Amino acid sequence: MTPAADGRATAVDLDSRSANAQAPPSGRSPEPSYDPAVDDEPSPTYGQDLREAATELWRFREMLYQLTLRDVRIRYKQAVIGFGWALLMPALVVLSGCVVRYAMTRRSGALLDLAGIASISVKALPWSFFVGTISFATQSLTGNLQLVSKVYFPRAVLPLAATFGQAFDAAIGAIVLAFVLPFLGVHASVALLWVPVLALLLFLLTVAASLFLSCANLFFRDVKYIVQVMLTFGIFFTPVFFDPEMMGSRLARLVMLNPLSPLLEGLRLAIVDQHDLLVPLVAADGVLVWSPAYLAYATLWAIVGLAASAMIFHRSEFVFAEYI
Amino acid sequence: MSDASVSFRRVWKKFRYGEIHNSLRDLLPALGRRLIGRGVRSSHDLESGDFWALRDVSFEVRPGEALGIIGPNGAGKSTVLKLLTRIVRPTRGGCTVRGRIGALIELSAGFHPDLTGRENVFLQGSIMGMHRREIAAKFDEIVEFAGIPDFIDTPVKRYSSGMHARLGFAIAAHLDPDVLIIDEVLAVGDAAFQQKAFGRIAEMRRQQVPLVVVSHQLDRIAQLCTKAILLNRGRVVHSGTPRETIAAYVGTGESTADPIAGDAATRIDSMIVNAPDQVPSGTVITVTLTGTVRPHWTGTRESVVLRVASVETGTTVFSTDTALSGVALPYAGPFTLEMDLQLNVPANVYTIQSLVLDTLTSREVFPGPGAQIDVGEGPPFVGSVQMNPRVRMREGEHAGASSGGITPVV
Repeated sequence: MTPAADGRATAVDLDSRSANAQAPPSGRSPEPSYDPAVDDEPSPTYGQDLREAATELWRFREMLYQLTLRDVRIRYKQAVIGFGWALLMPALVVLSGCVVRYAMTRRSGALLDLAGIASISVKALPWSFFVGTISFATQSLTGNLQLVSKVYFPRAVLPLAATFGQAFDAAIGAIVLAFVLPFLGVHASVALLWVPVLALLLFLLTVAASLFLSCANLFFRDVKYIVQVMLTFGIFFTPVFFDPEMMGSRLARLVMLNPLSPLLEGLRLAIVDQHDLLVPLVAADGVLVWSPAYLAYATLWAIVGLAASAMIFHRSEFVFAEYI
Repeated sequence: MSDASVSFRRVWKKFRYGEIHNSLRDLLPALGRRLIGRGVRSSHDLESGDFWALRDVSFEVRPGEALGIIGPNGAGKSTVLKLLTRIVRPTRGGCTVRGRIGALIELSAGFHPDLTGRENVFLQGSIMGMHRREIAAKFDEIVEFAGIPDFIDTPVKRYSSGMHARLGFAIAAHLDPDVLIIDEVLAVGDAAFQQKAFGRIAEMRRQQVPLVVVSHQLDRIAQLCTKAILLNRGRVVHSGTPRETIAAYVGTGESTADPIAGDAATRIDSMIVNAPDQVPSGTVITVTLTGTVRPHWTGTRESVVLRVASVETGTTVFSTDTALSGVALPYAGPFTLEMDLQLNVPANVYTIQSLVLDTLTSREVFPGPGAQIDVGEGPPFVGSVQMNPRVRMREGEHAGASSGGITPVV
């Protein structure tokens, strides 16, 4: 087929055969010409778009459930270690955190104590949830090519199912962690009420990143390599093995710019230090450890990020089938 | 506001062909464009590498109607289906489909090889938009229809391709859609299953479910559809009855000589009506036809038709046929056909005429025997004529209650 418009004039050759057919509503039609002056049907506003995306997602909630179930089933059907799978990744993160921390603190004299291990554990779990989700979600659209190009459904269910599948693993990890923490000297307190809030913010932030990256990877296949590199080295720019205040005042603030940092630090302070997150906290050497503004900052990222990525995702999902 | 279930209003659709830019260098400008406007919708002009897959295509389908879309490869048929199923959106114009769409396209796209048939039924059903409870309620029916009750707890990677396809079709066939969209899927499974599948579609047609069919099997279009359009290079070059449109496509048109009776593969030898000469309106009568099919190239597209016409006016008040009922004529050999009709007609004298129709050309290729029946006053008659036909087919010798296989009633 030739791309030039005039190459298509040969289309009339079929007309001569049907010229005398005359049943309603019928017959031959003239060669159409494209008039750019004709108005399109009006474009929806941002609000309408988000509402449409949300209602479609609600309509297909069963599919989201079934896909999540599929991912979980497949993972546990195939893996010899079964539910241990959910613990392997966070356990490895904790172990490497302990090794790094031990090496760092051996010189300074302040050896790694139980509270240190507890804080690494508390932060390792959300970090491995984030990493696991992003690496699965990034390829969720391109990995379901057959579905995306042939069947209608709100495309967001694919990255969302990846997120929920990982959330299931994280929940198992959290239950195990809840049994382990008392042995590390961590006890229940009112500050634990912050955990669901922080978990929700982390979930929203992860969904935002999943939507954006899965969509980006569909259009640009090299995105997944960049994501892989970022996830590998991201742990050095996210306070998992270390606490930001160890780096001094200025660098601590820089580390906290990472939207994940306030969430991980918040979890550590609320669980291990039993600190109320509405109250600022300053270390003995004058370094700002926590400010409620950090929480506001992370919340802003989660909400604005989710709205923006949902918008980008929804506006481009109708060309997925053309580009995939 | 129109009451059409499916409406295509002056749809234009632009596609790109060849390599699409997919390096990160283009990420920012591309996302920027998409954020500002509707991506491809915002640009009107054909850039290099773009082409119009559809140009100014309009049609409507109302409840009870069936639209066939035919045309050569690359005409834009698949694009129409993608727009109807909402996988892509039009560049210009509007496309609306009311209610739940049942798309008999890529029926097992959601299957996961490691999951069992049972797990996949729930997964695939949810992808088609069904809820767990709905799937659970129809589960046994689906398995029964697919004919794989013994394998339902086996991972589908161990299924044969036929079982795979049959299960996919069975799920889709139990969706209860408001609009049915079909893409060549009648080529699923063996002949018996195809007949069952076709019967299921014919049943939905009788329930007035609007239908859009894309097919290269022109005889199927002729059997199923009430109207058809011919697409070529992205535009509608003909629209009208299926017969005219098919004629416009294959180029045979009106000039082809009528097939004569001798050309028909199917002969109807006798007709018996099991009713007294006068029956009250509303009675169910059984018409038994016997006939023979000889192996012949037209055989697969022939259908036995029963027409009920008023003697007074000569107008046909009702007709039914084997193709519409999803009953297959044998490939060769004798057959017995029983058709139950409920005489929901005003009191009058009627003729019941049998004949053989070539479904591709809609021509009567064999005039069968007929009978006359006097319908007296019965319960008050209201509404349109609907005789609730039930058709049974028995292959083999005509001798009474033979033990030949009975094709299930549709």
